[in-house]
Amino acid sequence: MRLYRKEGNTVQILSFPTENVEKGDYLQIEDPKQNRALITQVIDVQFANVPGILEELLRDSTNGENLNGQDFDPLEVSSHVTYIQDARLLICKIRASLDNGKLSATSAWLPSRSQSIIKQLPMSSLLNLIKINHSLPIQLGETKDEASLNIDATALDGKLNIVTGKKETGKSHLSKLLVLSLVSHGAPVVVLDLNGEYAHLGYEADGKKNEYTNRVNVLTPSENFRVILAQMKLRVILNILIHALNLPGTSAREFRRIWQFLDERATLTLHELGEAIRNWRCNQHVRDALFSRYYALVNSGFFTDNPSESLSLEECFQRIRSGGALVINLRDTSLVDRQIVVEYVLGKLIDLLTQQKLKAVFLFAEEAHLYLRETYWDDIVTRMRHFGVFTTFVTNQPDTIRENIYRQADNVFLFNFTNEHDLETVSRAAKVDVETVKSIARDLPSHHCLLLGTAVKDFPIVVRVKALNVQTMGQTRLFFTEKN
Amino acid sequence: MIQQTQYTPTPSKYNFPQSLQDTALPTRFIELSLRSIKNIASQDTTLYQPYETITENAEPSEEITPVFLGQTKLKLNTIPLKPIHEETPIIAIDVSSIKIGETTTGILLAIRGAIVWKNNRHYHYLRIGPFPFHITEENKAEIYQLFRQYSLDTLTPNTTSTPSLIHMQTRITTLLERWLQMNIATQSQNTLILWDGSLTAGTNDSPTHIIAQLLETARNRLNTVLAFTKITRLRLSGHRLTDLIEKCTPPCLLEMDGYPIAPSNTIHFLGNIYVAKLTQGNCSFRLDIDRKLPREQAVEAIQRLIANDQLAESYPETLRLAHIYSTFTANEVIAIQRLLAQTHGIKTITRPNIRRLLFGPFGKGPEGG
Repeated sequence: MRLYRKEGNTVQILSFPTENVEKGDYLQIEDPKQNRALITQVIDVQFANVPGILEELLRDSTNGENLNGQDFDPLEVSSHVTYIQDARLLICKIRASLDNGKLSATSAWLPSRSQSIIKQLPMSSLLNLIKINHSLPIQLGETKDEASLNIDATALDGKLNIVTGKKETGKSHLSKLLVLSLVSHGAPVVVLDLNGEYAHLGYEADGKKNEYTNRVNVLTPSENFRVILAQMKLRVILNILIHALNLPGTSAREFRRIWQFLDERATLTLHELGEAIRNWRCNQHVRDALFSRYYALVNSGFFTDNPSESLSLEECFQRIRSGGALVINLRDTSLVDRQIVVEYVLGKLIDLLTQQKLKAVFLFAEEAHLYLRETYWDDIVTRMRHFGVFTTFVTNQPDTIRENIYRQADNVFLFNFTNEHDLETVSRAAKVDVETVKSIARDLPSHHCLLLGTAVKDFPIVVRVKALNVQTMGQTRLFFTEKN
Repeated sequence: MIQQTQYTPTPSKYNFPQSLQDTALPTRFIELSLRSIKNIASQDTTLYQPYETITENAEPSEEITPVFLGQTKLKLNTIPLKPIHEETPIIAIDVSSIKIGETTTGILLAIRGAIVWKNNRHYHYLRIGPFPFHITEENKAEIYQLFRQYSLDTLTPNTTSTPSLIHMQTRITTLLERWLQMNIATQSQNTLILWDGSLTAGTNDSPTHIIAQLLETARNRLNTVLAFTKITRLRLSGHRLTDLIEKCTPPCLLEMDGYPIAPSNTIHFLGNIYVAKLTQGNCSFRLDIDRKLPREQAVEAIQRLIANDQLAESYPETLRLAHIYSTFTANEVIAIQRLLAQTHGIKTITRPNIRRLLFGPFGKGPEGG
């Protein structure tokens, strides 16, 4: 390999067919005279712009059924021609500089073009160099050269993460791996599970119980997850009414009075609420508005007047405080009901965190745009983060996540995308340059993930995510398979 | 009449690849090529890349155009052509050379020949080379004599004929082409042999006796040599002949009503000169056909050509392929430089461009000029 060009933080390296270099690999450009090296990552492999190549290809393309021949080439010049034809240009990004064995972010110096020695940097050596903390390891899988890749759970602590990629590339699989790893390190995790994929995390693939069985609590709204109104704070119910059920401001003010009236009398039940709305002295339009929302609450099945049917979310949170997952199973739940449940859960979560009853919680939100109200996006990256809600968004539609979320994301776990628009969206992440995202993510095989951000000390690394022996339940139900 | 009867095609067997490879010249070529390169390695391991790469095809750098005497009027004889659809083998030969670099003692050239033949509707090719040669004042005579020896140029006295270094590229390119032409002439029968260039003889590159002998050998084996000149300056009363043929309906030949006079006594035109427009399009070419062949046979040969070969812009595909297969690409030059570096440790460096150094952006034109 020979150093060809450097422009900004992009280096072009000439490589020959015998040198097996692929996208994502790391190269070390050593300048022995300066006793320094550049750590670069290959983000694209192109054919070298060899002069005369077009003529040769055109000449060779005439070979076919109607033209064949033979070369008397005793000096074997043709082998050299082929070698040069196959020369590659490696487009690399400078990731760091190595000065006397110490890593530094600067790349202000230029290595010698003629003297530099370029060699592949094995992933194990890179991981040693970047010194990822391994006090709370999360084994994600293996790199291309079969080095085990562990990130540290602390790299997700207090951080905003995004797991994204197109369908069936392994996003949910990685999310489950992260959930279980966090649980095993004693972290409380809340999963907003849109498709009921996480419900069986406590079971092995063959149905046997696993070590997480008692630590994974699945809450299915209207089934084992119902609440009484008395458990709710006015702020939470108002959020539900305003944001999930679009209650107008005037009606909301009347509802506040009704709620306070019932609260003072300790009669906060669905039945009493209905009666109060019926008898409340107010404008008929307001009453109608309140009634329509009241029936929406009743019909959701999420609320009950029977205390024995209700669940204390606070108790559930207490149960997972030192390691456990609370899976809110939103499968088969309508859009409005989903929003009601999520408003309730997040409201309760904030309450507990504010009251210091819970230290912090890792929130995994699958396809959050389907249940998260607009104002929560900013809340999650600012206010809720300070309370101790550390969110991981999981989505196959990257444009549903706001740009500011990408900009503030600490870690991005990026799976394959082929759509240019999707790649464009993801490339807004501040943790990496656009070219790296676009070039590497486009060619990632299934279950291979490009890690960007704090977890890998800003050295993008491609990892083949390890298999999990749990019931994933994420597979799509198929018609023809069932028939067979 | 007798000759026409003899010209009736007979099935021919083609085994050029094997027979050409078995001939002594390629073996001597390899030996001499390797020896000349070793000679660089032992003296100087630096090869200066030429600022401008000079490519030579084996044809005189400047066309020798005749003056037609006896041409009384500006009226030309147009010969309409009718394709003769009778299977006739066609063979084309072309040779290229390229300057790979300079050393402190000489120049480094690479040379390659290509033969393309069409038989039974299929095209076949044989490429010979490339052979790099390091030519110095010391070894140029030896290299030149080898080429001459195999290209029949044995009658010219040895002592006077070795050209200067700067002319060696053209000379050895022509000599290799003559060798290939002779091999084809002797190994084929009832075949149309296409040459790149003309049948003008008497120059340093093409002695009259050699070209005459080549044509005779071809004739004796019932072959017809057709020489195509891509760019011609043929004129009649100041008019370009290739312009005059534009009014004719192709396929046709334009024949001069007169006899060509050479600019010097040593130059001989061994072919009858025609202007050929074989297809619709903008191009027409000077076509020389062995003048010792009867006119009818010459015309019949071109009629067989238009029926048996593909033609694009009046140019035969066989000859086009021969040119394409012999021509060097820039990548091949790099490959040869790489071969030299790998096998003999010879490094190539680019000489500073003096014109550029002196005149900056105004410094255009060839380095040596």
